[in-house]
Amino acid sequence: MSEHVLQARGLTRRFGGVVAVREVDLEIGQGERRAVLGPNGAGKSSLFNLLAGADTPTAGSIELFGTDVTALGARQRTRMGLSRTFQTSRLLGGLTVEDNLYLAAIGVSGGRFRLLRGSRDAEARKRAVRVAESVGMTDRLGEPAGELSHGEQRQLEIGLALVAEPRLLLLDEPAAGLSRAERQLLTALLLGLERDVTLLIIEHDMDVALTVAERVTMMYEGAVIVEGTPAEIRSNQRVHDLYLGRAHV
Amino acid sequence: MNEGWMSRALSLGGRGALAVVLAVVALVPVLCSTFFTSQVGLTSLSLGIVAVSLTFLSGYGGMVSLAQTALFGVAGLITAKLTVDAGWNGWVAALVGVLAATAVGVLFGAISSGSVGIYFLVITLAFAEITYFFFAAVPTFGAHEGINQAKPPAPLGDPVLHPSAMYYFMLVVSVLVFLGLRYVSRTAFGLALQGVRDDPVRMAALGYNVRLHRTLGFALAAPVAGIAGVLSTWSNTRISAGSISLAVAILVLTAAVIGGLNKLAGAWVGAFVYTICDTYMRGWTDRFATYLGVVFLVIVLVSPGGIVGVLTSAGTWLRRRVGAGDVPGAGTSGRPGPLAEPATPVPVTGGQSA
Amino acid sequence: MASQQVTTRRIAPGLKARIAPTLAVVLGALGLLGVLWQAFGAGFGEKGNVPTFILITLNGLTLAGLLFITASGLTLIFGLLRVTNLAHGALFLLGGYLGLTFIQKGVPWLLAALLAMLATGVVGLVMHQLFLRWNQGQDLRQALITIALSLILADQMLAHFGATPTAIVPPDFLASPTNLGVYSLAYPTFRLAMLVGALVVGLLFWLVIKRTRVGMVMRAGVDDSAMTSALGINVQLVFAGAFFVGSALAGLGGVFAGTSYSLAPGQDQAFLVYALVVVILGGMGSLGGAALGALLYGLVDQYSSAYLPAAYANLSALLTFVLLALVLAVRPTGLFGKTR
Repeated sequence: MSEHVLQARGLTRRFGGVVAVREVDLEIGQGERRAVLGPNGAGKSSLFNLLAGADTPTAGSIELFGTDVTALGARQRTRMGLSRTFQTSRLLGGLTVEDNLYLAAIGVSGGRFRLLRGSRDAEARKRAVRVAESVGMTDRLGEPAGELSHGEQRQLEIGLALVAEPRLLLLDEPAAGLSRAERQLLTALLLGLERDVTLLIIEHDMDVALTVAERVTMMYEGAVIVEGTPAEIRSNQRVHDLYLGRAHV
Repeated sequence: MNEGWMSRALSLGGRGALAVVLAVVALVPVLCSTFFTSQVGLTSLSLGIVAVSLTFLSGYGGMVSLAQTALFGVAGLITAKLTVDAGWNGWVAALVGVLAATAVGVLFGAISSGSVGIYFLVITLAFAEITYFFFAAVPTFGAHEGINQAKPPAPLGDPVLHPSAMYYFMLVVSVLVFLGLRYVSRTAFGLALQGVRDDPVRMAALGYNVRLHRTLGFALAAPVAGIAGVLSTWSNTRISAGSISLAVAILVLTAAVIGGLNKLAGAWVGAFVYTICDTYMRGWTDRFATYLGVVFLVIVLVSPGGIVGVLTSAGTWLRRRVGAGDVPGAGTSGRPGPLAEPATPVPVTGGQSA
Repeated sequence: MASQQVTTRRIAPGLKARIAPTLAVVLGALGLLGVLWQAFGAGFGEKGNVPTFILITLNGLTLAGLLFITASGLTLIFGLLRVTNLAHGALFLLGGYLGLTFIQKGVPWLLAALLAMLATGVVGLVMHQLFLRWNQGQDLRQALITIALSLILADQMLAHFGATPTAIVPPDFLASPTNLGVYSLAYPTFRLAMLVGALVVGLLFWLVIKRTRVGMVMRAGVDDSAMTSALGINVQLVFAGAFFVGSALAGLGGVFAGTSYSLAPGQDQAFLVYALVVVILGGMGSLGGAALGALLYGLVDQYSSAYLPAAYANLSALLTFVLLALVLAVRPTGLFGKTR
């Protein structure tokens, strides 16, 4: 068995009296495609924020690539090879698509404080253009990110995560608000990712997640209730009762 | 009729207009009176430089600072002190003054970089007051009297009687500051600063140290404010605590807002408009400050892009009307500042995209 | 401010968390010791420094009262609307001048103060309805708008009331000094009344905050209007009311200041800065914080101008800002500010 890319133990997050995440254990192996599913309010986004370093757990620990990162922030985790997307797009609205991707590229590779333009910029820009192509945004490179349509913003959101060439990619409801065609594009993009990228998708919607994921973790009321292959999840009675039943009837 | 050609002509017209403006500005000492050159010319250039340090911070960093006049004062007062009382060479004194302003800027920036928006404004207001009270209290810097007879180095001549040398020097410095800041805005550092302005959470997730970037942005604007302080001291041959009171800090903010907080050039435009009004309007109205306040208010309410914003939109509109679809791709710096609503993209030629 | 939390949390935690508070406490204690030594070091006799100390303390307390009245309006508006009204100082001075005008027209002091409060409240309300209401949430833009308004107001006041400092005559029943009963000291009765006024304002606020739903909103620091609506409150009405009351308090502060000190151009900016420092010291939006901030400010201001060694006496104006820096170094959101 390959080493764990991400390992969470006893992860708990309380907000006042509310327990948003309750003693979650999660182990994700190298190259795995994992989805975390659950109805609204199941604690998926809170868990996601803990994993990405945007929030600190009340209890429990997180290991990333074998290192304890519980006390580290989003910035340090990003530099270790974790990339994330945001549920509602957080783009650098005043900068062009290309500059967005360029900043994402140098965010992890260094040169963030350079006051001179040089050949190393060209390298990062090449990478930016390459990723723009892979998320289908080549013709929008000069457009300010704030002017993009919702679908394009979601594409760029994923592009920003990919350009850093992460080892672990966390996607927070990437399909939210996308049209059918856009979802298919997204699914194809995720299926086409190299195996050296480990994937963790948090989704409310099942279409994309169950197509891409090989293992699924179900959450309900802050806790993990079942874990298995998509087929097992589909046939699980409890999942049906809690989630599928309501979502699809 | 070839509309693309028309559009190009308009664009050429724009450049032509810019060339004319530059030519007129360069000919001020030749065409205008000594009074105008010194009173309007020198004043608006130094006001423009301190205002551009604010415009840079607000437009590219999202930091509306009231502490720029404090840094202006640190550099100006130290330079004056070293030349007048210690007899230092003017250039060396100026260098020390600007370095001191930068050091203070690093300190201010480090403390305030954790705050955004209105908190940042209020904290920098406190910095402005601290600096003012410090210089007003300390006898070494002349307290309220300030320091007089702070003449510029010999090559710059007498700024009151023969202001042309000083004027050209300040014009060159202005152009260099403008080009330098514009260049910085397109470097990795400058783009990242704009990223921090747009969304600090995203920038942290991309691996950036947001606070450090804000601090360095502040530190970068500090010497610009410092240079303005030195130039203002030289062209007035004096500086005092009164030159950096809260009223002056708000004046600089007013000039920057009137010109346009989103464009570097706005700083000089606002400074010039302010200085012209300050010099000539007082002759026929005692209520100059009221008119100024009304203009400030109208601009904040109606056109957050200031005069430059209005001109650019007008240019864009004209170009769209004449040659639809012939608008060049938007560059990186056409971004509305911290107080703008989502605006139509303003085309900026010369961006490094693609 | 989620962004802030993310970015500031992990910067040299150990260093910042320990050195700054220790330094602040040590400096504060040293200052206090210095004051006490100068006050009581020469004994408690008539010839000692105790009588002066009592007077200076009263000066500090009454100044604190004035500052609290002024700052409470600012913090009320901020606490409910998240608007930093930088025209608060202009409203303060306007209140003073209006009070003066009414009194010069023969209106008794108390009624004049009340009328001045109402008038400044209305001016503030109009400001809010015309210029601020429609851009709720754009805090920086609102701040710039209030700066512009303060420039206009200040200049118009200069035009109408002149540049010569003037003072309001206190009402007859407060005009003669009060005998303090110790060391045969007497103290201006009006200043003591100012302190009582501050206590009354504070008490009224306390009741509103403890007993009403609006107070609940303020206590929670809710700035989400949806949530406020859910509590069954007409948000726009509350906002308008807060602006009215907050501005009226600025006006009351102006009348007090005009009676115990003087009215002059420049006082608007000076008191705006004082009020801002007080509010930031205590934590923006917190009334208890404003009270404590005012107390600290008033005492530090008066003690430092009286007890600093002569060579440094001219630095006393700076000291209140040093106090601010010390407090912010320990608690970046002020003494009672919510750490978000």
